Amino acid sequence: MNCEVCQLKELEVESFEIREVLRCILHTIVFHRALGLIRPKDIDLELFEITYVQCGEIEVEKKIDEKIEQFVNWIEKHPNKKSQICLSFYEVKSKQPSWFTNKIERLYWEQWYINLNVLQPAKPPVGKSHHSKLVMDPGEASEERSSRRTLLEQSLQEVLFQIIKFVNEKKDHVPPINDGVIYCPFEITIPSSSDSAFGMDMFKRILHSGHPSMLG
Amino acid sequence: MDFPENLPSDIGRLEQIVSHFFPKALHIVLNSRIPSLQSRGRSRERLSGLNVRKSDKWFNLVMGDRPPALEKLHSWHRNILDSMIIDIILVHPISTDTLDVDDDHHGDSTVRSAETVIERWVVQYENPLIMSPQSSESATRYQKVYKKSIILLRSLYAQTRLLPAYRVSRQLSSSLASSGYDLIYKVSSFSDIFSGPVTETMKEFRFAPVEVPPGRLCASVTYRSDLSDFNLGAHITLPPRIITDYVGSPATDPMRFFPSPGKSVEGNSFIGRAGRPPLTGSSAERPHSWTSGFHRPPAQYPTPNQSFSPAHSHQFSPGLHDFHWSRTDAFGDNHQLSPPFSPSGSPSTPRYISGSNSPRINVRPGTAPVTIPSSATFNRYVSSNFSEPGRNPLPPFSPKSTRRSPSSQDSLPGIALYRSSRSGESPSGLMNQYPAQKLSKDSKYDSGRFSGVLSSSDSPRFGFSRSPSRLSSQDDLDDPDCSCPFDFDDVDESGLQYSQSLDRRKTSSSISQSLPLGRRSSQDAAVGVLVHMLKTAPPLRQDSSTYMASMSGVQREGSVSGTESEFSMARSTSDALEELRNYKQLKDLLLSKSKSGSGATRVH
Repeated sequence: MNCEVCQLKELEVESFEIREVLRCILHTIVFHRALGLIRPKDIDLELFEITYVQCGEIEVEKKIDEKIEQFVNWIEKHPNKKSQICLSFYEVKSKQPSWFTNKIERLYWEQWYINLNVLQPAKPPVGKSHHSKLVMDPGEASEERSSRRTLLEQSLQEVLFQIIKFVNEKKDHVPPINDGVIYCPFEITIPSSSDSAFGMDMFKRILHSGHPSMLG
Repeated sequence: MDFPENLPSDIGRLEQIVSHFFPKALHIVLNSRIPSLQSRGRSRERLSGLNVRKSDKWFNLVMGDRPPALEKLHSWHRNILDSMIIDIILVHPISTDTLDVDDDHHGDSTVRSAETVIERWVVQYENPLIMSPQSSESATRYQKVYKKSIILLRSLYAQTRLLPAYRVSRQLSSSLASSGYDLIYKVSSFSDIFSGPVTETMKEFRFAPVEVPPGRLCASVTYRSDLSDFNLGAHITLPPRIITDYVGSPATDPMRFFPSPGKSVEGNSFIGRAGRPPLTGSSAERPHSWTSGFHRPPAQYPTPNQSFSPAHSHQFSPGLHDFHWSRTDAFGDNHQLSPPFSPSGSPSTPRYISGSNSPRINVRPGTAPVTIPSSATFNRYVSSNFSEPGRNPLPPFSPKSTRRSPSSQDSLPGIALYRSSRSGESPSGLMNQYPAQKLSKDSKYDSGRFSGVLSSSDSPRFGFSRSPSRLSSQDDLDDPDCSCPFDFDDVDESGLQYSQSLDRRKTSSSISQSLPLGRRSSQDAAVGVLVHMLKTAPPLRQDSSTYMASMSGVQREGSVSGTESEFSMARSTSDALEELRNYKQLKDLLLSKSKSGSGATRVH
């Protein structure tokens, strides 16, 4: 089974916009992969004139919110960085139990890479011209912010269209729907503080998403 | 897979998938576009198989109970080979000028409206001519087809929320009042082809078809990407919203209240701005609490002039109101607007300037003459001027100060302007260059105004006029510019010079020395002069020493020498001798007369 990868268009967001943008994107993806019986829920974004759809499952909502908070905390420690969040759908494949290993293997069949460029707001320079800067900045900053917000809204809509298009074009790799399963199991990977851990995650992912013949 | 119905054949299941696909798609589209067709009973409670109808479980997408209109439509669409075309039509009002005859009209004769297709959804099952070979895995085929059709409907559901018509639908459903706009739908098996100009403004999105043997399910949408032409936002009243940038809020940018600093405010009330920078002091930009009643938001200001004048009039008046109204002069309300000559905005001193010389000064047209206030009121005025916070404390209006401090001169350009127009001299070093003729003119002109002062200072003034050094003092007395005629700084210094010379000469008879030139006012000076005169007046009893001194003081012209003591001694002795001689002569005369009178009886 191939692992389909979709690289979403990069979005420039400010720290206070991260939660809404990520919720919108992640829930939209999961909604298209929650193929069990669901009652969809329409959610209006507060910062943008966009309505997205959630699958309505509380566990999904909780899991996504937890990961978003972890990501926000990571962003606070690593400001002004381009970051990537990976949403991976996998199948649980129980490996043949052996004397040494009895692990449950995850077979990733789809990966979504959400590319974010988190911008930190420019702080006014501290000094003699501090007051004058404060007086001048609000007008210019609000105009700049509104134009940037409009661009981000358009970009976010493009990302959602991108998701719908990808979901429509690639359907064969989606595993069959199991009874009682509401949504395809997924995991969200955020950049970790240590490179080694990130490398390990990547290595695991490569192993799991490799050709079935490799895995034996 | 939890298939809704168990059918014996795979083909039957596939056919069922297709047949249920159409109403589901119709339900999704109309539910998101037509508020009246929104499903009821969609609670947020956890889904369970019991509370969901079987028909609603199709494609694992619980939409709620289907409205009766949709049920009828579903029953109408029997042939799965027929396409289902859903037109979402926007009913909008139009002006009579742009009324197109070909457009559909409502029956209402009073409301002219038009209908424009803003979305067209097409769902069809394409049946190829050539049958595709059936795969061996027929049992799982319909499961895959079902899974793909589920995904297709998921994406169709999400797409309905992303297109512009969804916002229109939400606006119309939440609108408080009827706006003449409405969204209606039309479902048909075939539709009119869009005209050329219409297709240019419309975009198309085709969903990936799902292979449903023998054919495939296709869905597409053609939509208007831009609905701004219909001016929906202007006509739809939305629920109230909190305006965070309300004009007048202290949190807003104060710069937005006032014209830009670059504009020159040339209001008539602010005369004397020629050559002066526009009044852009901090007081102008910063709204004061006590100007709230007079300040209006910038939107209401037709011109910057008007925006400034009322604000400034009341900005500068509070500290001066008491003074102004206590005098109740010829000031009208216009003079509350009288511009300060100084950028600081304090109109105290300039007001006097203008009032007293209005016929002379062309700098400030329209200012009425004012009477010179009394010293007491002037003192209060000056003190209030100095006590005003945030203002440049104006120095007492004195030529001395202007001479000494060019900076203050610069800060009072209006005064300089007046000065130059009056005297024709450069602003610096003004007072000392005033000709005597002008002085007399001033005194003549200001006689009526300075009556109270002049009467007491006539003689000293006359006395002063002789000495050129007194001219400056006299100017201070007569100068109508100065609210206090005396510039006590200047006079004090000159007086100090005189007193120093007098000490050397040891004379007490000079007027300048004995003049009690107080710092306060001309009246005080006049009183002092009078006192001096009384002191130096000849006593009733003949006290030769004091008399001599007073006589010499009265008759003295002014200049004293270093040998004054000797001279006075010599004069007193000679005077005494002369008087003695005069007495003797008188005595002799009287005696002779008496003798002659008595001798009239006897003739010698």
